Amino acid sequence: MLEIKNLHARLNDGREILKGIDLHVEAGEVHAIMGPNGSGKSTLASVLAGRGGYEITQGSVTYEGRDLLAMEADERAREGVFLAFQYPVEIPGVNNMYFLRAALNAARRHRGEPELDAGQFLRAVRAKLKLLEISEDLMQRAVNVGFSGGEKKRNEIFQMAMLEPRLAILDETDSGLDIDALRLVARGVNGLRAPDRAIVMITHYQRLLDYVEPDRVHVLQGGRIVESGDKSLAAELERRGYGAVGDAA
Amino acid sequence: MSAVVNFPVKPEARPYIEAFTAPSDEPDWLARSRRHGLDRFAKLGFPSRRSEDWRYLDLRALEEHPLFPVEPPEKPEQPGVTIVDINDFILVLVDGRWVPHLSWLRDLPEGVWFGSLRTAMTERPDLARAALAGADDGSSFDALNAAFASDGFILDIAPDVELFAPIEIVHLSLAGGAAHTRNLISIGARSRVIVAENFFGTGRYWRNDVAAWRIGEGAALTRVAVIEEDAEATHLDRVSATLGDASRLDGFVLMLGGGTVRHEASVTLAGADAQCRINGAFIVAGGEEANIVTAIDHATTGGTTSELIKGVAAGRAHGAFQGKIIVREGAQRTDARQTSRNLILGRRAVIDTKPELEILADDVKCAHGASVGELDEAALFYLRARGIPLEEARRILVEGFLAEPIENIAHVAVRQHLLRRLSLKLGRLEDWS
Repeated sequence: MLEIKNLHARLNDGREILKGIDLHVEAGEVHAIMGPNGSGKSTLASVLAGRGGYEITQGSVTYEGRDLLAMEADERAREGVFLAFQYPVEIPGVNNMYFLRAALNAARRHRGEPELDAGQFLRAVRAKLKLLEISEDLMQRAVNVGFSGGEKKRNEIFQMAMLEPRLAILDETDSGLDIDALRLVARGVNGLRAPDRAIVMITHYQRLLDYVEPDRVHVLQGGRIVESGDKSLAAELERRGYGAVGDAA
Repeated sequence: MSAVVNFPVKPEARPYIEAFTAPSDEPDWLARSRRHGLDRFAKLGFPSRRSEDWRYLDLRALEEHPLFPVEPPEKPEQPGVTIVDINDFILVLVDGRWVPHLSWLRDLPEGVWFGSLRTAMTERPDLARAALAGADDGSSFDALNAAFASDGFILDIAPDVELFAPIEIVHLSLAGGAAHTRNLISIGARSRVIVAENFFGTGRYWRNDVAAWRIGEGAALTRVAVIEEDAEATHLDRVSATLGDASRLDGFVLMLGGGTVRHEASVTLAGADAQCRINGAFIVAGGEEANIVTAIDHATTGGTTSELIKGVAAGRAHGAFQGKIIVREGAQRTDARQTSRNLILGRRAVIDTKPELEILADDVKCAHGASVGELDEAALFYLRARGIPLEEARRILVEGFLAEPIENIAHVAVRQHLLRRLSLKLGRLEDWS
């Protein structure tokens, strides 16, 4: 599903952040990418989603056999790539429901499916809201405006549940969540595990991985993946810290 | 009869003076008022761009290719752009003249007089005189309006009347000339009303309206205007409002189109504890110009003013907001807030914003803020990261930006009407850079 080869990326100011990432993710798998602050985790998520401000200097990203980096951000999303933002953006004046319906219908048009009418849309929304225990009032407000930190993160997972992506990238979705919110988010993510879907979770802590069990765990440090393993690696990292990893590399 | 004047006439005023014909069937006071207006316009000519109030507007087209009053078409059709509220009273003016068959003025509640200026000349000459005498600031276009005024509307409400359904007025320009209307809204003590005005037209025309609003003690006027003129049209309108003790004015103007559009509101808080809220939103594209000019005068104690004006400019368009707030000596406990927020799309569009506070009292709260920026890149990326194509993402953000002040309109049908007009306008807009 996703094949990253020798990916190098730098900021527009010239600082190189990613220094040769290699990653292979199959459909149906859940991968966790862990690493200390400044290791390049969020840059990797941004580059995959197509955020501006980065320059790819080497390497390739292939998604479902296509060159992901050649697509615009909105095309990637319509093709099934979803980024759950570390810092969801507040958009005053734009109603949540309106925004979500525009997003859903953009993807449906792209796939040649008819757009959802207001009734169909509302039914779909209600089912998923329940799963994440989000109140319907929140949906009538402007996008993320006046949401608590936990509500913003749950809203990201709710959007993911609505859009049903094939590749979901979760950028520090667990940060700033209390234990109840973390459980809800984990429930949402687990609900999306499917044989035709891959999930990449980027996180600093092992906490989320207690609830969403990864198939593979990678350690990102200094812009490279320095170690990979199964879920036991996460627990080991928690014990020994990032300092001891990758010294051999 | 052509007019002859015995003093120097400004060259750009000459064609207008020559085109003037005094109607024969009018009372003396009106003939004198027209004559007086014409004389003043002859002396003043068009306002200079050196004058601070008019510096943002280019009126050369009207100087070089003047537009004169015309007869409206025989049987104009229903404009189809109204709020359509079941209990509506509606008055339609086409090319500055009342069109009875498109209007609905029957069964007005007790204490309400609503009709055309010409009807008032016979039925309520007191109101007609008040309309034509009011709103005289000595400016060029007031003077020209006084000379050429063809018709207009008058809404007069006795004390203690509450109207729930909005009163609608539609101003249509179809014949391509100039329309000069005079309008009066007068609200008796403790009465409440919502007035919604829509401005539409096709072709090259010039609208020059003058209105006076008087809001009695404890009364409330909500007035919204939607201006969607033709890209070749010039729309100038000026309102002067007087607020009595503990009265409330809630004004909203949505400017969606027109080659050259200028909306001016001069509000005097003459009574104590009056409340004035003026909100507005404009979008200009192509080569359009839009200008909102407000002057809010706190003449006495305890008044509050709140202003939020949002603007968007695309293409080569130019938008401007000039907002003056005066707090007179002795107008203690005044609370005035003014905010101007603007978005520029593309590199050739321009927005000017000019707040001006003149505070002569010491126990007051006054705040103002102004900003001009571009679309928020982070928000744009967020929408695109959800699959929304760039053009649509831009449209959603612009719509959200301009909808914010509209969301504050309490009347549901009126609010939805404005949101729908905005949405339709943005759907048609091609020029996003």
